Amino acid sequence: MPLPLEGLRILDSTTMIAMPYAMALMADMGAEVIKIDNHTSPPFPAAIHPDLTPGTKHWEWEGSHQTLHRNKLDISLNLKLPEAVSIFKDLVKVSDIVVENNRPDSMKRLGLDYETLQKIKPDIIYLSNTGFGHSGPWKSFPGIGRMMELTCGLSQFTGYHDEGPRRVGYAFFDPHVGWTSIFAILAALLYRHRTGKGQWIDLSMYQIGTACMGDAILDFIANQRNGKPMGNRHSYLAPHGVYPCKKDNTWIAITTLNDSQWKSLCVEMGNPTWTKRKEFTDNYHRWNNQDELDKLIGEWTKDFADLELMHKLQSRGITAAAVLNSKQILLNPQVKERGLFERVSHPPDSDLGEKLYIGRPWKMSLTPCSIRKPAPGMGEHNNYIVKDILGRSEEELTRLYKIGALGTKPLDQKPRVNNLPWKQQLDLGIIAGYDPDYKDVLNLKDNNQKEIT
Amino acid sequence: MDTALDGLRVIDLTSGIAGPLCTKMLGDIGANVIKIENPRGGDDSRNTGPFFKDDPHLEKSLLFFYLNCNKKSITLELQTSNGKKILNQLLKNADVLVENYSPGYLEQLGFGYEEIRKINPGLVMTSITPFGQTGPYRDYQGSDLIYYAMSGIQYASGAYDKEPLKHGHPQSLYMAGLSAGYATLAAVYFKLMSGTGQHIDLSIMEVIASHYIDTTLRYSYAGLIESRAPKQNGGSFKGTGFDGIVPVSDGYISPTIQRGRQQGKFSDFSKFLGAPEINNPKFESKDLRNLHATELDEAILPVLKTWKKMDYFEAAAEDGWIVGLVQTSEELTNSAQLHERGYFVEIEHPIIGKIKYPGDYLGLTGSPWSLRLPAPLLGQHNEEILCDQLGYSRKDLVRLRGLGAI
Repeated sequence: MPLPLEGLRILDSTTMIAMPYAMALMADMGAEVIKIDNHTSPPFPAAIHPDLTPGTKHWEWEGSHQTLHRNKLDISLNLKLPEAVSIFKDLVKVSDIVVENNRPDSMKRLGLDYETLQKIKPDIIYLSNTGFGHSGPWKSFPGIGRMMELTCGLSQFTGYHDEGPRRVGYAFFDPHVGWTSIFAILAALLYRHRTGKGQWIDLSMYQIGTACMGDAILDFIANQRNGKPMGNRHSYLAPHGVYPCKKDNTWIAITTLNDSQWKSLCVEMGNPTWTKRKEFTDNYHRWNNQDELDKLIGEWTKDFADLELMHKLQSRGITAAAVLNSKQILLNPQVKERGLFERVSHPPDSDLGEKLYIGRPWKMSLTPCSIRKPAPGMGEHNNYIVKDILGRSEEELTRLYKIGALGTKPLDQKPRVNNLPWKQQLDLGIIAGYDPDYKDVLNLKDNNQKEIT
Repeated sequence: MDTALDGLRVIDLTSGIAGPLCTKMLGDIGANVIKIENPRGGDDSRNTGPFFKDDPHLEKSLLFFYLNCNKKSITLELQTSNGKKILNQLLKNADVLVENYSPGYLEQLGFGYEEIRKINPGLVMTSITPFGQTGPYRDYQGSDLIYYAMSGIQYASGAYDKEPLKHGHPQSLYMAGLSAGYATLAAVYFKLMSGTGQHIDLSIMEVIASHYIDTTLRYSYAGLIESRAPKQNGGSFKGTGFDGIVPVSDGYISPTIQRGRQQGKFSDFSKFLGAPEINNPKFESKDLRNLHATELDEAILPVLKTWKKMDYFEAAAEDGWIVGLVQTSEELTNSAQLHERGYFVEIEHPIIGKIKYPGDYLGLTGSPWSLRLPAPLLGQHNEEILCDQLGYSRKDLVRLRGLGAI
């Protein structure tokens, strides 16, 4: 089966989450993505180690790394050395796209900025992603996804309605930026296809975020209105909330989009007399009396199991969903049937065995995409790239290793363990539960299962 | 200057937020988008606020306005045979079709992908639905709240002792539109290479689940189920040690003890705050900050109360600390950074009049984002599309109107 982006070569000189994730998706779609790794920089700090135990190659045998770099090739360059910069430049000559997310000016200092590279490859497409873009008073400010959610205006709406703002999710904004970057790159590619011209893409996370707040910004421009924390409520529909179910910390989300859904919900609830009170007979009044409405619905939902109630309500055409936790979503039959999480077998010498990774939320009928291979090891493709792609000699390769321009292991191998033992995490409320038998639950093959403390 | 998708013809059979955002993005970079609306009131978002000057008029929804610039609108009743015939003609000459009807609805009308492929084998058809075209939940009802609930993200968001929380602005629908946008472009690229179109089947719920990349890993790597927030909540957040959202004197910020990719030193941080006396070895690492979250809050929150939010944000960012600033729509509208980058552009709408519009989010310097058309009035381009492009006469339009087709 063909893949949609077959034949494209991308140099992925990015770190953190948003851009590496975007490049992993482009690799899923068939582009040859070469990750420009760096053995001289410390490993990614947000490590998820198997059974919370860093293995001998903990910088690779780690969940974020495996998600963010699957399907890629890896060359590890120390770009402080001119020999490594020359490898990078030679790769640009045979590539379509360069992607980087360094602070403005840092690629220029290396001589790897767009101005320089378009002289050696005039039709190169070069994307720079920064927090705020390469111009303006905030251009040098650091920007990461977790913070952008606030700065772009989303947090003004988010939080319980009687409290200050809150975040939702951990790094919600990173995929958002990554997906936009793919759109921008493909736009540039289609432009190049028609005109033969490359270009520089000056992506700003700040602008990406505000673009998804367009109606809110226009509300201020036209009506001088700002957002306020909405809880789980809607601007005109009621009920619209999350209600407790039978087991501790289980929940169901329910909303009614029209009168007929509300009537069906009343029937399911057994038509209690309160539903006939004038405060609740129509949506307009229900919205005005939500505190009481939510309490009454919660009194009813608390006798049901979350999934059972979801199926019951959905079978009557009512908009409802169990609030799934990370285990439930991995086991959810809808997600399973569509294969959102892909099963990947890791090499036997790693600590990983089989794992599940998030794939893509769409399917292409003619060019189905998949995770075809796990993330590469650091510098795993050094030799292939230097000799086979660039045609340099064996002696040259040896020299590049000797001077440290190429590497296969990080210089700093101190594990970034940032996980407390699970019992302590449970005690502090950092986790809601721990399943020692999770591998059986997910049917993950494993050859060295161990108890964790 | 040229646009990226100059000449690409898109038929837009969508309504609401997700689908219209996808076709807006294609229109923003130059595609010719023909939006097909039902003659009974058109796109649902025309009835959804906010409205210009709070006037709930069909042509004054700012949600519709924001999501439908750079498109032309025709009305078409797809339940009529004439409506179907016109759609058929439009699809023959199109490159892309984006739709967000319930699964099975277009099949019933004779426009399922199998039929579409016979009409135009080169067409890329993108379908955006709550849970996808397949699977046991295919016919379940969805909404922003439901996508957050089922994606796993809501369970892990909010306060320890309160119900799970979602974003207060319907981001699931925006994210679905964006994802449909890039997937569509990938299929358009493949079509240019191979000559063949295909069908893209996108699930909105799976889009939001895709935001959850790190959390499901904790289960499949270590059996850990993510919780909402630690019990001794205060400012600390999920083991990262103090990067919650906290109050300052005039609003909210999210301070961190992170510099670039790495954790900073608490002693440096307390100096930056102007309060070196709160330095304490108990706060030196993430784990320690988690263990002593309440004490940390007691030490740090009073100091933060002496700061103003913009002063803190700019001083911290200048000094290299990762920091977030809770901004309001007003602050975004007046943001010097956005203005300097030429973000806001002015456009004239026939009913709303002149208005500032939030602009470029792509940063394409060679084939820039551009605002060419204001959001269309309902059926504004019936004559242009049906007469000039498809060859109907004005008399035909009158008859089609009588038949309820347009």
